[in-house]
Amino acid sequence: MKRRTFLTHGAGSVAGLSALAGCIGETEDSGQTLTVAAYSSFTGEDTAGNWLKSAFESENPETTVEFQTTETGVNEFIQRRSEDAPIDADLFVGLNTGELVQADEQLDDSLFAATDDEVDGSGAVKPDLDFDPDGRVVPYDTGYISLVYDEGEVAEPATFDSLLDPEYEDGLIAQNAQQSDPGRAFLLWTINEKGPDGYLDYWSELADNGVQILSDWGTAYEAYQDEEAPMVVSYSTDQVYYNGEGVDTSRHQVGFLNDQGYANPEGMAQFVDADNPELAREFMSFMLTEEAQAEIATRNVQFPAVEGVDPGGEFSEFALEPPEAVTYSYDELVGNVSGWIDEWARQIVSN
Amino acid sequence: MRPKASRLLPVGVAAMLATLVAVFYYPVGSVLSSAIYAGGRLTVDPLVAVLGDPFYTGAAHSLVTDPASVPGGVVGWIDAGMPRVEFGLFGFTAYQALLSTVVSVAVGLPGAYLLARFEFPGRAFLRSVTILPFVMPSILVAVGFLAMFGYTGVVNDLLGLVGLGPLELVGTLKVIILAHAFYNAPLVTRLVTAAWESVDTRRVETARTLGASPLQAFRDVTLPQLVPAVLTSAVLTFIFTFMSFPIVLALGGLELATVEVWLFSRVQNLALAEAATLGAIETALSLGLIYVYLRFEATQISAHGEGRTRARTPLFVGWRSLVDPRRVGLLAYSLVAGVLFVGPLASLVIESLTTPDGAFTLDYYAFLIAQQASAAVGTVQPLAAITNSLLFGVGALLLALPMGVLVSVVATRESRGSRLAEALLTAPLAVSGIVLGLGMLRTLVFGTTAFGHRLTITGPVVIVAVHAVAAYPFVTRNVTPALSGIDDRLVDAARSLGASRSTALVDIELPLIVPALVAGAAFAFAISIGEFDSTVLLAEGVDSATMPVALERYTANRSLGPNLGPATAMGTVLLAVTIVSFVFIDRAGRRWER
Repeated sequence: MKRRTFLTHGAGSVAGLSALAGCIGETEDSGQTLTVAAYSSFTGEDTAGNWLKSAFESENPETTVEFQTTETGVNEFIQRRSEDAPIDADLFVGLNTGELVQADEQLDDSLFAATDDEVDGSGAVKPDLDFDPDGRVVPYDTGYISLVYDEGEVAEPATFDSLLDPEYEDGLIAQNAQQSDPGRAFLLWTINEKGPDGYLDYWSELADNGVQILSDWGTAYEAYQDEEAPMVVSYSTDQVYYNGEGVDTSRHQVGFLNDQGYANPEGMAQFVDADNPELAREFMSFMLTEEAQAEIATRNVQFPAVEGVDPGGEFSEFALEPPEAVTYSYDELVGNVSGWIDEWARQIVSN
Repeated sequence: MRPKASRLLPVGVAAMLATLVAVFYYPVGSVLSSAIYAGGRLTVDPLVAVLGDPFYTGAAHSLVTDPASVPGGVVGWIDAGMPRVEFGLFGFTAYQALLSTVVSVAVGLPGAYLLARFEFPGRAFLRSVTILPFVMPSILVAVGFLAMFGYTGVVNDLLGLVGLGPLELVGTLKVIILAHAFYNAPLVTRLVTAAWESVDTRRVETARTLGASPLQAFRDVTLPQLVPAVLTSAVLTFIFTFMSFPIVLALGGLELATVEVWLFSRVQNLALAEAATLGAIETALSLGLIYVYLRFEATQISAHGEGRTRARTPLFVGWRSLVDPRRVGLLAYSLVAGVLFVGPLASLVIESLTTPDGAFTLDYYAFLIAQQASAAVGTVQPLAAITNSLLFGVGALLLALPMGVLVSVVATRESRGSRLAEALLTAPLAVSGIVLGLGMLRTLVFGTTAFGHRLTITGPVVIVAVHAVAAYPFVTRNVTPALSGIDDRLVDAARSLGASRSTALVDIELPLIVPALVAGAAFAFAISIGEFDSTVLLAEGVDSATMPVALERYTANRSLGPNLGPATAMGTVLLAVTIVSFVFIDRAGRRWER
């Protein structure tokens, strides 16, 4: 019931956008509803999700976009699938490599459909972001994990080994890789650097040097802002928030260890049993258009996935890209990632 | 007079059991069963795997993997001079819970003494808001604690002024124990204050006239009535801190992980059998502890009739306050309590008014107003969240009171197994929140197919039922001691005059336990206001969002930059609404008492 009222309001706020979208003007069959599953922070006032909904609906006047948000992300759908509970959503937005690996390891049949060739514009996605070898997941943005540090307190940490120096004692706050995206990405980055046989030794030295592993990005960043430590694992877009007059930018320096950043692309995929598969693929194509890519980048504060898109504004001015992006591919993570994280966490806990 | 009253009890018990089965036993059972049931048959494999893993149980793992080696191992250990033994994740979890309990009781007891025995301006208000920490979401407690006890926090600033410090608390066991005391010492204070206030002054006076010194009178008359309340709160604190989860990782870090932290990561990995096993062990330990305690409690309570509360002594008696050791001690205690309880909460309010650079701002409140004005899909509006929280809170309170009283009635019957029945009916306290959430997701939210329709059980009514189930054990813990303390002869007299058991309950016993009911009601309301895990699962969209849900959504909102400002503003609103509610409940309760 309430949804209807929301929609009328939503349509009003979109009036300005219809002019932009008018040139395509494709009309759908009357009264279709596209259900998009996403993390809860994807929708709400001023989010990428709400912009996409408005813009897509004004382009397809007969279509309604509804969001289905879950606290546990894709895990809920993996469980629904294994319990034979219905999945009402048509597509999932906000999937990373590790989550796709987990979904595939848990389920006998894939949760998602191969759509790569049927999504217009997917060819323009940067090849190194494309993380699904089976062509189901299409990336729409990416973040780069880096360090954020206070140059008034410490010199820029140049390498992973330098983090073990006395200079950086009690200097780093990281996140729990079991439950935090940047925490997991940072752990994978150290495995990428030190190898699956060497990363545990590295972390044991890191622990001896006083690394602190807090639950998630929010608490870690809060602790950094309260000066618990001069370095925190975060994103390379930090200065998009912190720039200009009255901001102490010395506390928002981005450090690329080994001149690298760990790429954490986010993707979208259509559920195998989607009620509206074509509409889902249209929505996916829409998310890859230049305009949507720029909006998503600005609103999510993540880099566009499509080649050659410039979001402009403060984003383009202050978001830093690492000289070299590293990331683990799907095939490298399959059969490994949960073991790597488990052994790491057991070592930290038993220490 | 009340022809239906005799049937009230069994009908109430049946309705309550039905609710419990639907929103508690069924969801929890669906998860925990995989600890002992796999591939269609009973199995002990998951249990053996966990208990036999040194990571979980440390030295005790050989009890499972190689029992024959245990005597030899113990002898060897004694020969080696009994060095420190590690008992793995379970051992550490119990250790930190024990420390937390000791500290919580140590911090909570003087508070009860102060509130129960002294009169001072603002006492009633202070008493009403003692359970405030109970409703605070962990993320906000983390914010408040960082601002108060962090490396550059207020405490270190103060220590710096007198040339001490800095203390490194964050990331250590100390800060976790402090945070646990923040949450649980008020529980101790609340329960013990209620017991202390119900001590019959005539019995104390009788003891004094018979020649007992004040100390002897305290030891022989007052103390025996306080012991059950102290132990109840200690047992509850131990259970809560044993199953502590978000605050551990937010302030301490992964090195200090508890069983519940690990359980959560198993759920994230969808290693559900292992998660269920951990949850089942936690539940078994907690229920065992509750059962042992209840057996003890039953031997402790002495009957009392309708008594008179002792008059309180004025706290401030002019300059003599400064030389009376009791009063000086209490003032020192107030300072400590101020730092531990008021400090983090005040820091939170200050954080909601300051930018990360320390300048004054009203942006975060403007953010709340903008959310309120927004019509965008998926926006959680603050006013709606406040209304929902209050409605659910009142609903949970109204449902939890009769449920809690029913359990107390069952528990105080001197029949075989009533202790066991109460222990089992206290299970909502003893089950991991993560297990319950997972169970609800897989049963109520996913639904079942019946008659060709998919039935799901979600929405406001279910949220209220779930909150009530989480809350009624608190009502019971307040009411049982009061109820079993009622002189049996009063009830017998009523029964012999023709009253049914239910009539006696309503007309004789309930009026005598009003203070305990009010205390229970406040807990029920607090539990409901603070509940997050189940609410967020069962809320359908943003329409049923409560204050903690709104707060969580604002945490993820980065429109004002990566900071928790909007969440602290919502947290301040949550604090304000809760304070007003608690004061109201206590006032209303007192009026009812007269």
